[in-house]
Amino acid sequence: MPSDFDKGAYPEPPRQTPAVDKQTALPNPALILSKLFYYSVDLPVTTFRDAIDSIRSKNKAVYYHQKFRRVPDLTDCQEGDYLCYYEAEMQWRRDYKVDQEIVKVIQERLRACQQREGASYMENCANEIKQFNEVAKDFQSRYGDLGAYGSARKCLMKQKERMMAAQAQSA
Amino acid sequence: MVGMSVLRSAAAFAARLSPLKSGNNAANLLTRTIPRTDKVAVRWGHGKKLFVIKPSDYYDRRFLHLLRYYILLTGIPVAIIVTSINIFIGEAELVETPEGYEPEYWEYYKHPITRWIARNICDSPVKDYEKMMAAIQTEKEKADWRLMELDVRRQMRQKGDGPWFQVSTLNKELIDNSPKATPDN
Repeated sequence: MPSDFDKGAYPEPPRQTPAVDKQTALPNPALILSKLFYYSVDLPVTTFRDAIDSIRSKNKAVYYHQKFRRVPDLTDCQEGDYLCYYEAEMQWRRDYKVDQEIVKVIQERLRACQQREGASYMENCANEIKQFNEVAKDFQSRYGDLGAYGSARKCLMKQKERMMAAQAQSA
Repeated sequence: MVGMSVLRSAAAFAARLSPLKSGNNAANLLTRTIPRTDKVAVRWGHGKKLFVIKPSDYYDRRFLHLLRYYILLTGIPVAIIVTSINIFIGEAELVETPEGYEPEYWEYYKHPITRWIARNICDSPVKDYEKMMAAIQTEKEKADWRLMELDVRRQMRQKGDGPWFQVSTLNKELIDNSPKATPDN
């Protein structure tokens, strides 16, 4: 189940709903519909989930986040040391996955910001937009266009080309 | 006279009616009312039963029946098992790794079925890594030995002082160097 957003990071603004001041004797249809929804959908679903959680809470399993040790990079390997190449390649693949997830998190933040702000998101979410643009540009320059068989070696060659282009431009 | 012919024709008509039918007894033969066909109560019931001529759907229905049967034969037990696992065992929660504790390799997964598969069926990722590294080491050693063999061949062929590339010739002591009687000996 996708988890809810971090309520501490994005606190909801204080509610500005005025106190109920009924001036007619007619029933409020919004209130009726909300009560209807509550009793027909919300309450059964919540009781079902509580029942299942009470069954599950007897044998709760836990899982951990695996941390990998850093190994020497591809640039720190001797030539012909295929074991070092393999370890560097695996580390590069893990870092690639981590970078993909980072981009997804930034995207999610931008999407949440746009949903929150509504029509005026271009002004209010400027920070998120700038952050996302930077992250996407960096990701593209590092990992973009490597292709389906992208490897640590190809990424290193791409970095070399980037550095050569930067040097040619600055010279 | 005319009444005689009318009576005769009526008798002939009455003789034609079968006596076994229920309304044809003598009491109501001449006094029964004539049914008016335009005032009879017509009821549209289940409709007239028709024999519809269409191609046989036996094979299609048999196919669909067998399809449902074989899909549900394993589908229903699998659905029951997976539902009960999700309800009674449930997914794991993410917690921080406690100090000094090295989790087993299957404790890094969330769903109980994935954990079970990782524990009982698959090898640990560390073992897979080491297997791959062992294969790479073997291939590296093979490649190194092959390169060394090529180098050794080159050296021995060039210098000629090794055991390889020796062409054996006849024993020099078998040559008879004594003077011969004729030049073509």
